[in-house]
Amino acid sequence: MRLSNEQSIRLSKVCVWLFMILLAALDLGCYWAVDWFIGTRPVLLGFGLREGLLMMSTIYLGSAPAWVLLINLHRLLGALAAGQVFVPANVARLRRVSWCCTAACLLCLISAFYYLPWLLVAVAAGFMALIVRIVKNCFAQAAAMKDELDFTI
Amino acid sequence: MSIRINLDVMMARRHIAAGELAERIGITPANLSILKNNKAKAVRFSTLAALCRELGCQPGDLLEYRPDEEETP
Repeated sequence: MRLSNEQSIRLSKVCVWLFMILLAALDLGCYWAVDWFIGTRPVLLGFGLREGLLMMSTIYLGSAPAWVLLINLHRLLGALAAGQVFVPANVARLRRVSWCCTAACLLCLISAFYYLPWLLVAVAAGFMALIVRIVKNCFAQAAAMKDELDFTI
Repeated sequence: MSIRINLDVMMARRHIAAGELAERIGITPANLSILKNNKAKAVRFSTLAALCRELGCQPGDLLEYRPDEEETP
């Protein structure tokens, strides 16, 4: 099955919406999610109220860059659907996405002090930040080339 | 941009309107306006040749080098 460009963008938008719904659900049910998470892992039996609160803090603090990231991705997809690909606005959106990944990486690094597996999330977020940053550099270069081409008469 | 295009001067000398010139050389009036207002970043040889043909001039009559303020010693 090969998707057309429009279908592919629509699918990406649906995925972004799904992540937004998941994030909203996590924000609303953070307490129960943390309670369930701690309860189902024997290794976390030593976790008390303090660790639970720390985990909730990590989730709530991480939620802010996650929302900014998802909103920027949604707007980026909107611009792509409108045929605006290599424009400075998209470069700025990708830059924001990259910074959001970096913020999540730093937050997870700090959180690894009380729960080591956050380190894996930190590495994944850091790697994602690097990839998005390189894509942003490509977009910036392409936007400059397009600008040059648009003003070649 | 230190290269300036004196299209308006040449058009005035030849008594030719922008719309007419754009039609003759096969570019849009919007693009001709970009050229005329020195907003263009590059000019294709084909466009330059068409301009010279229609205005009966040489590229040197259209293009002028003016050093930018920061370029002047």
